[in-house]
Amino acid sequence: MDPSGIFSTSYASDSALVRTRAQWLALALFGAALLLYPWLASPRLVAVANLMLVTSIVVVGLQITTGYAGQINLGQAAFMGVGAYGASVVEVKFGLPFWIAVPAGGVLAALAGWAFGLTAARIKGFYLALTTIAAQFLFVFVVLNLPSSWLGGVNGFSLQPARLGPLVFDTDRALYYLFLFSTAVMVFGAFGILRSRHGRAFVAVRDDDVAAGMMGIDVPGTKARAFVLGAFYAGIGGALWAYQIRFVSVDQFTLFNSIWFIAMMIVGGLGSIVGALIGTVLIRIVQESITTLGPDLIEFIPTLSSDIVFASMNVFLGLVITGFLLLEPKGLMHRWNIFKATYRLWPFPH
Amino acid sequence: MIIEFFNYALNGALLGLLYSLVAMGFVVIYRASKVFNMAVGEMLVVGAFLVWWAVQSRGMHPALGIGVALAISVLIGLAIERLLFRRLIGESVFSMIMVTIGLLILMRGLVLLIWGPQERQFPAIIPLAPLIVGELIVPRSLAAGGIIAVVCAAGLHWFFNRSRAGLAMSAVAEDHQIALAMGISVRRSIAFAWALGGVLSVITSMVYLSGKSLTFLSFEIGFAALPVALLAGLESIGGLLLAGIIVGVVQGLTAAYIDPLIGGNAAAVVPYIFMLVVLIVRPTGMFGWKRIERV
Repeated sequence: MDPSGIFSTSYASDSALVRTRAQWLALALFGAALLLYPWLASPRLVAVANLMLVTSIVVVGLQITTGYAGQINLGQAAFMGVGAYGASVVEVKFGLPFWIAVPAGGVLAALAGWAFGLTAARIKGFYLALTTIAAQFLFVFVVLNLPSSWLGGVNGFSLQPARLGPLVFDTDRALYYLFLFSTAVMVFGAFGILRSRHGRAFVAVRDDDVAAGMMGIDVPGTKARAFVLGAFYAGIGGALWAYQIRFVSVDQFTLFNSIWFIAMMIVGGLGSIVGALIGTVLIRIVQESITTLGPDLIEFIPTLSSDIVFASMNVFLGLVITGFLLLEPKGLMHRWNIFKATYRLWPFPH
Repeated sequence: MIIEFFNYALNGALLGLLYSLVAMGFVVIYRASKVFNMAVGEMLVVGAFLVWWAVQSRGMHPALGIGVALAISVLIGLAIERLLFRRLIGESVFSMIMVTIGLLILMRGLVLLIWGPQERQFPAIIPLAPLIVGELIVPRSLAAGGIIAVVCAAGLHWFFNRSRAGLAMSAVAEDHQIALAMGISVRRSIAFAWALGGVLSVITSMVYLSGKSLTFLSFEIGFAALPVALLAGLESIGGLLLAGIIVGVVQGLTAAYIDPLIGGNAAAVVPYIFMLVVLIVRPTGMFGWKRIERV
């Protein structure tokens, strides 16, 4: 809902993403803050921000598949892994530069997503959830059992830093700008897709796929597109992740990671791109805090020693998922929207 | 040669029956509450730790210890219904699945916090010496597991398909709203489902872990049993036995004959490929209900 006094007089202004001057100002300030961040924060915090940016691309992809199109995907980490391995192979085996390797990783992941999107055309609900879990197991199996000269097997893959002409992205600060640019492009793309007819088809299929089919929407095609798009985002995220860590192995892309991504989406709110970003940032902050505080926690429960971090991560993740689904199933963005509407309508209740 | 083949097949079949016993945890909860419980493996670990705590750590007599463990796991099941699923009646499939996954992860964290990551020796409730029939060698715990699986399946099949209370619960599995309108208590049905799930998890944990070592990682059998539940169809209890035997024999023979050829661990992934094929070709499994959708 717009503030009072703002009326759209054309289709373009009705579908605009940024609608008021104040919003332009806020966006500009936010952009400037993001650009200045690596010069103000400590190197460790810049590295954390890099992981947040990469993860937010993956979670935005999941938001498209699950939050908008309503197709449950418990294998987002596997698609991310396909992207990471795809980019690494393109880079290491074929010697192509990173600006080809990253989109190639995205496309390979999108192909994998397409295969699972086809199954989504036939089945739904938890049967689909189980299929995507199977994707997770298959991914690990395939990587570990192919000849180790192909995908590195158990040992994983090492990469060279990304290069663009004279630029070498080998510091966290350089990578930060690369990731910030990629995330901005991907997020803008997501907004664009979701306000197009494809985005409206996603929402229609999510709300009721039988009814959507009767309205003339190509339901199997829409479901497949949702998976392809979500997996493409995961693949891009995975490829960038590979350039951040510069080492790829299967245990970075487990079912546990997929569940973290879903938790990020639930916290932010299903069906909201901004929610996906907020959820990612909040959950990552807690993850980092638990990792940092881990050594202090050991003093309280000495029997667990180094497993305390893993144990408390589990407890936290379990509580977040169940707590949010029971108490605030629409996520933080819903709360924020209520607040915004109340603020704009004040002093009237409706 | 041929006797070896039978040996592999028989052991595979018995392992499959163990899977079907684990998978009963999925089906029983689904048949009475329409909740697909992804946390079956974790409930099994909790049940196992309860038995270990009562029998090994507290030194109770096995019969008494098992009784205590059963009582506590029933209470845990009731608490899960009270705290989580009572609020979720009629909610979307996504919420239900994600809550059980959240439960899985929460329980794993709590098991780690309470009992730690160490390996524990699980008491040998079923004697360890293998049964030898002619030239066939069968571990006694698997044989006992097979018998328990058949007995449980027969009892539960009768309960859900013949008894009045069981049929009322089947109505809950079809549709919460309609069941409520028919005067069936959805709450009580879900509470019963989770209590029964708790009992089953203690029984299964004793069959699965008897005399073996127990860690928090034992929950992985829950995922191994998923393909069995899907092949049978989520609503069928009797079908689980057949599905378990099929998956078990296929897995056993793969481990024996195909793994040496490719030098990899194909046996671990064969059930999932099976599961994918079932999901794509016939999502309702062999004996599952067909649902008709209306707008």
